[in-house]
Amino acid sequence: MTRTAADTANRSSLEESVHGLTFAGILRSEWIKLRSLRSTVWSFSIMFVLQIGLGVLMAFTLPTSNDSASGMVNPFAMDDPMVVVTTVTAGLALGQLIIAVLGVLVISGEYSTGQIRSTFTAVPTRLPALWAKSIVFAVVTFVVSVLSMLLTFVVTLPILASRDISVSLLDEAVWPAIVGAAAYLSFLGVISLGLGAIIRSTAGGIASSLGLILVVPVILVVIPVTWVQDLANWLPSTAGGQLYRDLGVFEVWQAQLIMLGWVALFLGIAALLLKRRDA
Amino acid sequence: MIEAQALTKRYGSKTAVDGASFLVRPGLVTGLLGPNGAGKSTTMRMIVGLDRPTSGAVTVNGRPYAEHRAPLHEVGALLEAKAVHTGRSAYNHLLALAATHSIGAARVREVIRVTGLDSVAQKRVKGFSLGMGQRLGIAAALLGDPQTLILDEPVNGLDPEGVLWVRTLVRHLAAEGRTVLLSSHLMSEMALTADHIIVFGRGRVIADAPVSEFIGQGKAATVRVTSPRVDELARLLESPDVTVTRIDEVTIDVVGVTAEAIGELAASAGIALHGINTVTGSLEDAYLKLTAGEVEYRSDASGQPATNNQQEVSR
Repeated sequence: MTRTAADTANRSSLEESVHGLTFAGILRSEWIKLRSLRSTVWSFSIMFVLQIGLGVLMAFTLPTSNDSASGMVNPFAMDDPMVVVTTVTAGLALGQLIIAVLGVLVISGEYSTGQIRSTFTAVPTRLPALWAKSIVFAVVTFVVSVLSMLLTFVVTLPILASRDISVSLLDEAVWPAIVGAAAYLSFLGVISLGLGAIIRSTAGGIASSLGLILVVPVILVVIPVTWVQDLANWLPSTAGGQLYRDLGVFEVWQAQLIMLGWVALFLGIAALLLKRRDA
Repeated sequence: MIEAQALTKRYGSKTAVDGASFLVRPGLVTGLLGPNGAGKSTTMRMIVGLDRPTSGAVTVNGRPYAEHRAPLHEVGALLEAKAVHTGRSAYNHLLALAATHSIGAARVREVIRVTGLDSVAQKRVKGFSLGMGQRLGIAAALLGDPQTLILDEPVNGLDPEGVLWVRTLVRHLAAEGRTVLLSSHLMSEMALTADHIIVFGRGRVIADAPVSEFIGQGKAATVRVTSPRVDELARLLESPDVTVTRIDEVTIDVVGVTAEAIGELAASAGIALHGINTVTGSLEDAYLKLTAGEVEYRSDASGQPATNNQQEVSR
């Protein structure tokens, strides 16, 4: 292993034309980082499997035609497309928690290991790294979510058919819900990433991100003041939920704007702090 | 070329770097020397923009690091071992860094080969020893084939072969006309590697000179003489230009006369010498002398740095 230093003079593989730092390069770098960690791959795989598994379970709980014949009523009181959407998005309740944790980890893991210093040495202006990280994580989350829901749809198709439910994927109530659910997870992931960048610790980041999804809505709802309870509708988990199911509070475009607002808020604070703080 | 002007960094009430101004020139290995907590690492972090100076400025090749269009081609930095996500393999870590500057996988494999990491490149960094972590850090620094290299304690944790490799590497890089800045608290390492030394003490630059000059500054040549009739010899040596220091019953240190002259004198007076040797002012002496009073964490008397333990420097 005694290498002569002269080896470094061999620049054959480093082309004379230097591209320099580009945003495309930073995106590629973040993609390599995301796919080269076992924890990310595992988390996405678990989310994928859970999504399908819970969808299948949900499909099996639906009454069969025999049950209907014996006078049992559809307990969900939903039309067919709505049943399909509920089945396909059944895994979201757990999937959102995985994405929230992963979103925090994508950045807090860099702080806890010291990787962030390598990242910021390569991208000293820092913000492009934050944007690239957010974009890559949002896109990967979106793709994995859509794929898992499409597969859930395919897998549950025969189960639902045996219950006399057959709805096309192209039904105008179905495909927008799948896209909306995937968008919800992406928004949530980026909000968590922002929180992770602000807090910089894995434990603290996960606590606040899960708290925002699970705890804050409950607290707001139990406070017996109308406007506080109304506020609960604006939280990421509730407003975001309207991206794929109609709760009658916001239109889809309004829910999208609210989610964008949350993303802008957390990423904005993260960006400010990232510029100001020492790495 | 790295240029720092009145560089200052405060963390709350603690001043880590205090108005440091210096110039690091191309073609030389410049050593940043100082006790722990003297501000060496903070200074290096400010050079690559990881820490923002409280006041003052530092530029690399005439610009702040962050303003370069291709930072990794400008400066390669090893700031601490394992600034790496431990769950990622060495290869993927380097590949991700390289991707930011559209540096290809071929160059990644090349720096892995040069740093001797071939056998562990696909393993996760989690299991790396300190020495392997250092090699990975050096590999990352070399990725962009940069004109300027900044290495913070590069030999830390390396085996003797690794130390020799780093020494040869930095000498070679400087010989190619690159700017090399490395820090160490090991004076002996600096004496062997650096051409120019900047000494930090409590955040301030307390010396900035070529190694040769630095050693000369520290102490004039001392001759240590051991003889049963040492008092007699001391009287014979008395002269305005000569300083004689009594060490113990049979030992004196003489400054101002060469060993040869003392030998001749003793022989002509019939005084037997049991020992005589020249103790050059070592870099260690110079360093300890300079940083006396600048050391932040001083050990108690029992564990004090051995100032009397003068070493012969064989350079």
